[in-house]
Amino acid sequence: MTPPDWSVWDVLLTSAVETLQTTIAGTFLGALFAYPLGVLAASNWTPVWVHLPIKAFMAFVRSIPLLLLALLFVSAVGLGPFPGVLALAVHSVGVLGRFVAEEIEATDPKPLLALQGTGASSLQIIQHGLIPQVLPQMVAHLAIRFEMNLRDSTILGLVGAGGLGFYVFLYVKQFQWQKSGVLVLAIIALVFAGEFAAWQVRKRLI
Amino acid sequence: MSKEMVIQIENARVEMEGRTILSVDQLEVSRGERVAIVGNSGSGKTTLMRMLKGYVPCQKGKVVVMGDVFPIKDPKKMKTHHRHIGMIHQHFDLIGRETVWQNVYHGRLGYVSLVKSMLGICSQRDLQICAQAIQEVHLDDKQRRFARTLSGGEQQRVAIARALAQEPTILLADEPVSSLDPALSEDIMDLLVSVCDAYELTLMMSLHLPEIARKYADRILAMKNGKIMWDGSSDLLSNDRICEIYEFMGTNGVVNGNGTRASRSAFTWPYGWQGQPLPGS
Repeated sequence: MTPPDWSVWDVLLTSAVETLQTTIAGTFLGALFAYPLGVLAASNWTPVWVHLPIKAFMAFVRSIPLLLLALLFVSAVGLGPFPGVLALAVHSVGVLGRFVAEEIEATDPKPLLALQGTGASSLQIIQHGLIPQVLPQMVAHLAIRFEMNLRDSTILGLVGAGGLGFYVFLYVKQFQWQKSGVLVLAIIALVFAGEFAAWQVRKRLI
Repeated sequence: MSKEMVIQIENARVEMEGRTILSVDQLEVSRGERVAIVGNSGSGKTTLMRMLKGYVPCQKGKVVVMGDVFPIKDPKKMKTHHRHIGMIHQHFDLIGRETVWQNVYHGRLGYVSLVKSMLGICSQRDLQICAQAIQEVHLDDKQRRFARTLSGGEQQRVAIARALAQEPTILLADEPVSSLDPALSEDIMDLLVSVCDAYELTLMMSLHLPEIARKYADRILAMKNGKIMWDGSSDLLSNDRICEIYEFMGTNGVVNGNGTRASRSAFTWPYGWQGQPLPGS
């Protein structure tokens, strides 16, 4: 892999941007569904016939390996970053939704009861009591999920779901190790940057 | 002319898991009274207040609070009932990640429509009431601080301001000074009594220390095993009666296991409320 062949910088740039875009879209699309589902999956807020099926669904989604999910979506919608986005989103729903549910279940109920005692309605209790208590952890989990998705999205290319991984695999197949080495370095740099960003978010919130 | 009754209880029973945990034969509290409820842990003080607030259902008997006959089934009526009864919780129960102002504003939620509260729209009146409540508890300079960064005494002041923002008629204080040191406890009790006088509120507070009850209440209810054992003016609660209620003996405050009454002369309150002796001891 050494010395790295920097002539692929244009491929590196476009594929790194594609990986980043896939990660952002996949994480936020997943969060869009994970948060409401997570609230519904909290056993202290919803009846058993609501939270149990949702928890089971999220566990099922989590149990499917990400690469398998990506393969399924590649065969369903074709090659490119879009199946990668879908795979990350579905996987994030399973993981993030569970974090949200657990965070809500661990909330101190006494301040919520105190809010009820002021005459607040259920939605007002959620807005003024529940969300302020769980929001920092929720955002921190989102940051961690983003970092993990960034790492995962780099290998999604192996199954044709675009991004850096796709070109790494392409150059490896052509025995162009120096070129693939440059892309591997880019993956490492991206993962470090993602981890730094998540750490910064966590530091400010918790 | 007789005073208006805000609380009327007749033969009320609260049961939990087949066991009667509260049994009140007769209790009437009139507007503006300052009532202290004393008794051991598990004597039913908190249950009585939670029942009045509507948190705990009363299975038998008649309970009328501010004209509302229990059980209150209509959610709208329950909301109004909650608004009229402010409650100060033992552990303050504030939202630690919100500011003092936001916590006090929570007291107004019962008056604000859902849409307005979702959009964060506050009426001029709400702003005025919150500002006044914060001023009453002397926290003007800390209204932008997060509640979790405040000391115990300051958090209790926020809890009082939140209850005041509800514009209540009755204020229930569940062991308001149990988490505070003696000096701070006196400050909080002075504040509580002064705001109740200023707003003509009926105050019901559960307390562990009979000395505080005597100092700050007009009337004392002494509870034991879920029943009111004594109900009268705070001046009339004798040390013998306190001994009987708390089942103490000796000078070291050792809990009497066999229920023998301690002699009045031998009784000293084990927690030493700022070294103030009991009257007549």
